[in-house]
Amino acid sequence: MKVVHPLVSVVDDDESVRESLPDLLKEFGFSAKAFASAEEFLASDSVSKTKCLIVDIAMPGMTGPDLQRELSRRKLPIPIIFITAHADETMRPRLIEQGAVECLFKPFSDTALQQALGAALQL
Amino acid sequence: MMTQPLTDNDGWTAYCQETNGKDKAVIIAITDLISILDAVNVPIVVVRNDFTVAGFNKMAADTFGLSSPDIGQSPSNIPIFAGLSRLEEQCSQAIARGLETSANFRCEDKWFAVRVAPYSIDNRQATGTVLTFNNITAFRASTDQAIYEREYSKAILNTVGDPLVVLNADQLILSGNRSFYTMFQLSREETQGLPVYELGKGMLKSSPLNTQLKEMFVSAKAFRPLEVDYASPESGQRTLLIDARPLFLPGRSDRRVLVTFQDITARKQAEAIERNKTQEKLRHTEAFLAEAQHLSRTGSFSWRVQTDEITWSEQLYRIFELDQGVPISLEFIGTRVHPEDKPLLQDMIERARATGSDLEYEYRLLMSNQSLKYVRLIAHGTRDKNGLLEYIGAVQDVTQRRLSEEALARARSELAHVSRVASLGVLTASIAHEVNQPLAGIITNASTCLRMLAANPLNIDGARETARRTIRDGNRASEVITRLRALFSKRAVTIEAVDLNEAAREVIALSGGDLQRNGVVLRTELADKLPFVGGDRIQIQQVIINLLRNASDAVRGLDDRRRQVVISTALDDGNHVRLTVQDTGVGFGTQSAERLFEAFYTTKSDGMGIGLSVSRSIIESHNGRLWAVSNEGPGATFSISIPAYSGKETPVGEASALHPPVTTNAQSSAGIS
Repeated sequence: MKVVHPLVSVVDDDESVRESLPDLLKEFGFSAKAFASAEEFLASDSVSKTKCLIVDIAMPGMTGPDLQRELSRRKLPIPIIFITAHADETMRPRLIEQGAVECLFKPFSDTALQQALGAALQL
Repeated sequence: MMTQPLTDNDGWTAYCQETNGKDKAVIIAITDLISILDAVNVPIVVVRNDFTVAGFNKMAADTFGLSSPDIGQSPSNIPIFAGLSRLEEQCSQAIARGLETSANFRCEDKWFAVRVAPYSIDNRQATGTVLTFNNITAFRASTDQAIYEREYSKAILNTVGDPLVVLNADQLILSGNRSFYTMFQLSREETQGLPVYELGKGMLKSSPLNTQLKEMFVSAKAFRPLEVDYASPESGQRTLLIDARPLFLPGRSDRRVLVTFQDITARKQAEAIERNKTQEKLRHTEAFLAEAQHLSRTGSFSWRVQTDEITWSEQLYRIFELDQGVPISLEFIGTRVHPEDKPLLQDMIERARATGSDLEYEYRLLMSNQSLKYVRLIAHGTRDKNGLLEYIGAVQDVTQRRLSEEALARARSELAHVSRVASLGVLTASIAHEVNQPLAGIITNASTCLRMLAANPLNIDGARETARRTIRDGNRASEVITRLRALFSKRAVTIEAVDLNEAAREVIALSGGDLQRNGVVLRTELADKLPFVGGDRIQIQQVIINLLRNASDAVRGLDDRRRQVVISTALDDGNHVRLTVQDTGVGFGTQSAERLFEAFYTTKSDGMGIGLSVSRSIIESHNGRLWAVSNEGPGATFSISIPAYSGKETPVGEASALHPPVTTNAQSSAGIS
């Protein structure tokens, strides 16, 4: 029996995150792909396959919220979990209001991420 | 003998001829008589009753040019007597009635009174007339002169515009000049003998004219001119100035007085207008001065140092909150000066007394309600003609200015504090970002590692890999801290060789998060083989941080183009190194680039406007330059240029430490690191 692993894409310009997060996601039972920028992700063939997106907010060029808007424009309602190294409490409710599933402040625990993913994919 | 002349004057020729046959005694008598007549200095001509010249004396010959051919001629035929038209008639009257007559007669430039008198021989009927010519030339001249003088005086008096009148001792009018009669609309006859105070419808009755004239006559007191209002029938209300002088007539004992009535209406009006004008001007000047003193909160004073006489202007009373006109003494002033400033006052007084030099002091006044006033005193000493020292000075109430200065200073320090806190916040966020990134990696890797170790089957290789990454990220976090410590641990300003590229890299590493958060693409174009610059690395890095943050803020709001910042270094002028931060942001518009460097100037809604002014002072203390130019495309370029390190640098001075927010960041952050 073939087990389907939903694809979770990670978009972050920080290399540590791109290296570590996919491994953890795989431990959670997802398939995972990492991208260094929003542009790279949008140009990939993973856009349509991605079931959940973990996006860094502050990135050179297109930011996390920019990507959210772009996906919304393309009518691609991928659930988004924002991650950020800037612990700005005022940002979180705004992003959630605009449709984000969750906004996690780095460093975040594996359980926090798992809960967010659960919410995103309605597991 | 008869041919022998009896005289050298041939006026007597006829008589000489008549002596023929006369005895010697008669001849001698005739000769004597002729001699006597010739000796008389009055011209005498003898005319016979047939109106012919019988003879003339020497004076007549000399005066009228008579000579022997004139004897026997009618005087009417002698041209010189042409002026005596009635002579023949007069002569016949004299002979017929024995009457003496006289007539005036002019001969050339002389006047003569001619007396025509009959004479008779042997007391019989008159045989002729004797004409004696009395020279009255001098008399005539003096009479003419007298007449002339009188007419002349009269003409002058009548020409004089001011009315004049002569009174006798009883103050009755004798005569006046034409102006006098015109003024009072009276004739000479109407005024003759009129008491002077009856003039002008009684206007003089109530005046002291009467009394004064009496005093003048009785006690020779000088007349004091009187001003009298007079309703003129001709020209309305007039003002007359009445003056009087005694008249002295030589050779006469009766006393008279000359009274003049001068119409001074026009002059009075002009004076009144002028006086009003002057008073108005004075009032205006005073009001102007008072207003100026009021507005400028400046009072003025004078101080006579010897006598300590002090006068104050109204405004000075107001400044001291005293009632106008209260006498002022140095002791009193001393009671109003703030106790701590009393030595200043004492010093000023002593200096004034000792030197007389100009004074400039600032005092605090302690008012009765315990409020404070700041006053500034300036005074200039002058000496009067007796060498006495007087100070003229101004006292300005500078309380408001002082309070504003203090308020401004407070505001500045508050701003500096706010700016410091704000910068600290930004810096803290920046540090947090730098540390949180590797921490995120560490925690994620460690979590993954644990899960791999707990998995069935055991994922040893995965666990090893994640553990390895955990260590790497831990090191990365540690490096961030090390960099921070390197950046902020030094406090003292030191001049050392600084690699501007390295300094820039460290700043970029620190600011990376800030830039990322704003979606800024940072490009670096650092030139190789640059000389070191001389300076304080921390301070230079603080300036670079500031420029980078400004650039990041400038591009933050952009949606229509890349949010790009380029930081580049290059050799500048051979012995300078230049670092340039170029952005594609909003630029600084048409504002002068220099304004950017003014303290508190900012184009940012949340900026303090301090960073650039402090940055510039830091760079200038390194003998360098910091400047800004607008890009040809969008955005602005800021550049610093610092001299290459020579090893001989000495600091030009502390970076102008007006507001050292950046420096203070470093100090505050030193505590964190």
